Amino acid sequence: MESVTKPAKSQAELLVEAHQKKQRQFRMGVGATWGGLLLILIFLFSGQSLLGFQTIQLDTEFMQKNLGFIGSGLGETLLISILSISLAIFLALLAALGRLSTFPPIYALSTFYVSLIRGTPLYLQIFFFFLALPQLGIILSGIVSGVLALGLNYGAYMSETFRAGLASVSKGQREAAAALGMTPLQTMRRIVLPQALRFAIPPMGNDFISMTKDSALVAATGFVHEVMWRATRVGRAQFNNLEALIMAAMFYWVMTLVLTFFQNRLETRLSKGDR
Amino acid sequence: MAPIVRITNLDKYFGRLHVLKNISTDVHSREVVCLIGRSGSGKSTLLRCINFLEEPSDGSIEVDGIAVQSHGRGKEHRQLIHDVRLKTGMVFQEFNLFPHMSVLENVIEGPVIVKGMDRAQAVALAEENLDSVGMLFKRDEYPLRLSGGQKQRVAIARALTMQPRVMLFDEPTSALDPELIGEVLNVMKKVAKDGMTMLVVTHEMGFAREVADRVLVISDGEIIEDAKPAALFTKPKDPRTKALIDRYRTGGK
Repeated sequence: MESVTKPAKSQAELLVEAHQKKQRQFRMGVGATWGGLLLILIFLFSGQSLLGFQTIQLDTEFMQKNLGFIGSGLGETLLISILSISLAIFLALLAALGRLSTFPPIYALSTFYVSLIRGTPLYLQIFFFFLALPQLGIILSGIVSGVLALGLNYGAYMSETFRAGLASVSKGQREAAAALGMTPLQTMRRIVLPQALRFAIPPMGNDFISMTKDSALVAATGFVHEVMWRATRVGRAQFNNLEALIMAAMFYWVMTLVLTFFQNRLETRLSKGDR
Repeated sequence: MAPIVRITNLDKYFGRLHVLKNISTDVHSREVVCLIGRSGSGKSTLLRCINFLEEPSDGSIEVDGIAVQSHGRGKEHRQLIHDVRLKTGMVFQEFNLFPHMSVLENVIEGPVIVKGMDRAQAVALAEENLDSVGMLFKRDEYPLRLSGGQKQRVAIARALTMQPRVMLFDEPTSALDPELIGEVLNVMKKVAKDGMTMLVVTHEMGFAREVADRVLVISDGEIIEDAKPAALFTKPKDPRTKALIDRYRTGGK
């Protein structure tokens, strides 16, 4: 009697199954279309002709010769991004905490910084450090100027993310910590920040990905040999800008795809974990 | 014997709103005192003044011999408040468990971080208290996966593990589904039976009647009646107390 059949699937299980099947089909459709679009893109630059339509012919010899030269800028691109994001996180945290302060000068300092930086172009900020400061006797290298400008700039934007993260921690959490006898510093370190950071990590990942691309602006100083600088250099020298920029674009794209992959994994881990 | 909690001439203003008016009362060791009153009467504020989650506007609070005056400033004052908080355990209406920590981590956080207790010792103490509230089987679970009643029982264990002299309960069952109220009240009864001094802000008249040694009725920021539950629930002196009790009688709970 106990071994008649497996218990029939419950209605909920059937619904979940149907939903999952639908999602799988959707993902397969999206994947196939991506593949198709990619093939079309490659075809457009293949130099073939189809039905009287001549596609673009690239100088493949130039591309092969300079692939390594442009690609070897990836290290510098990533280095700038990592240094800048570290500075940005530090500044964003300070600015976000400043925004929570009830002491007017601290609050003002934080909002002033965010307003000034968000109110001026990143391109200008990079040049300010590299070209304007030397007039005051402060000479910074291209990489230092770039990291300072990117860090300051992203710090201002990220402070909003951190502020939202801090605001997401309810007053009750602070009260519970206070009732246990925790000091404000202990409460911040043990209770508020861990919850706020968990909230802020996915948007921080987006900012990092976006920064790897904005680091290209640092090429404008002419002294940082990252991907963009290398691409424009060989492109201009041999009048192969089309090929050089396409290669640079591919490097940036692949880099963001890889980073996005890790970002998604981090996000699923955070969301299903212990929250 | 000296009282565990002594509240003297306590006043509290929120802006121009006078929410507590010259309150004075003592709570002795092992006493269970229930504070009842309509919402907005000031009973929660009174409770929160005891561990300075609300800073009193005037008067003084004394907990287990540590006296703190209102209008205090500076490091010494903060140290006194800290000492008072070490002597008081608090249980909130909304539980306020730390969502990023497991049940066990929630309970040992205070002893380890605030008191500097050895971790192994804190774990042993935490397990003992989790067991007594019937939550040891969820020791490694995260708060999100607990029911409201279970969360509140963990919150009680968390407060008890600080080994306070007095426990403050701020409407501990008001956020719970009706069928979960019983398990929390039972744990509170057990805590009372173990000899803990307790102040309980509650709407649970049955609990007040059965467990309290004294009931304070708060209305418009004043203690309008202070009596043993047997007397208070059968022969209320103040017509406002009578109205309050009648409302609960007819209102189901």
